[in-house]
Amino acid sequence: MSAGADIDYAAAIAQATLDVFEMMIPLELTAEAPLASDAEIRAHVTVMLGLSGDLAGLLTIYCPQAAACAITGGMLGMEVSEIDDDVKDAVGEVANMVAGGLKTALAEAGIGLELAIPSAITGSGYRITAPTGTRKTIVPFRISAGPFWIELKFRRTCC
Amino acid sequence: MSMAEQIITATEEIFSTMIMLEATPGEPGAPPKGPFRNSVTGMVGMAGQVRGLLAIHLTEEAAKSVTGSFLGMDVAEIDDDVRDAIGELANMLAGSIKMMLTDNGKDIKLSIPSAISGAEYTIDNLAEAESTSVPFTLPAGTFTVELQLEHPAG
Repeated sequence: MSAGADIDYAAAIAQATLDVFEMMIPLELTAEAPLASDAEIRAHVTVMLGLSGDLAGLLTIYCPQAAACAITGGMLGMEVSEIDDDVKDAVGEVANMVAGGLKTALAEAGIGLELAIPSAITGSGYRITAPTGTRKTIVPFRISAGPFWIELKFRRTCC
Repeated sequence: MSMAEQIITATEEIFSTMIMLEATPGEPGAPPKGPFRNSVTGMVGMAGQVRGLLAIHLTEEAAKSVTGSFLGMDVAEIDDDVRDAIGELANMLAGSIKMMLTDNGKDIKLSIPSAISGAEYTIDNLAEAESTSVPFTLPAGTFTVELQLEHPAG
């Protein structure tokens, strides 16, 4: 069996995210059971961060406005009510740190990961798609302001 | 080679060998921030010795024309074929550019590509990266190729 075949990616995403909140966002966070489809996802701010190395992947955070503002407010210690550059930067920072946590967790399983640079997508009408056939793990999270979702898509490039 | 020259070289190569359409470059400039309207964007990340992002933003007309020519079929609407083709186009462009960045692309690997499509969206780059973009004209419409690169310390 190849390295990392038995990794529980949903658990790794949940743990990395819980760690980030514990460290820098003083909000109570619950991780829920992974979803089989992205049908229920609604996002006003989406941050994407490319991953490469032994996996070619993409980490995506989908935030409705309520969760995006609450996360930013929690991180910066102020009231945030609309999606501005602070919000994009804050959600981007969460993406970077969650990806950093995943990198550490996967390194322990012998899978090397490198991070690309994040971008934020906002707008009134858009959809984001990965190539057909990509493996996908979606973990829903909940804070008191509402839900948000973190998705890991990847294909193996080696081993 | 400047980043704009890298974009032009890679785009002309991919369009002449894979897409079979002539793409005429315009003046390089700062990346478009959007909002993009009725557009399709293909994006792929680069990581390793160089961190970066390659994006191609096409009008829906240009996206349909490129996909039709690439797949050799008529394309009437923005569907999964178009989104897959534009993601793959970003992947090919990034693959070509990475060969110019380091010794034969060594120590740079690509993420999986993704496609963003829709009536109205804005893309913000969250890193302090060096960036440039080049607009191109096709018979059926226009597109812009954007490159962002960050050279990590050490």
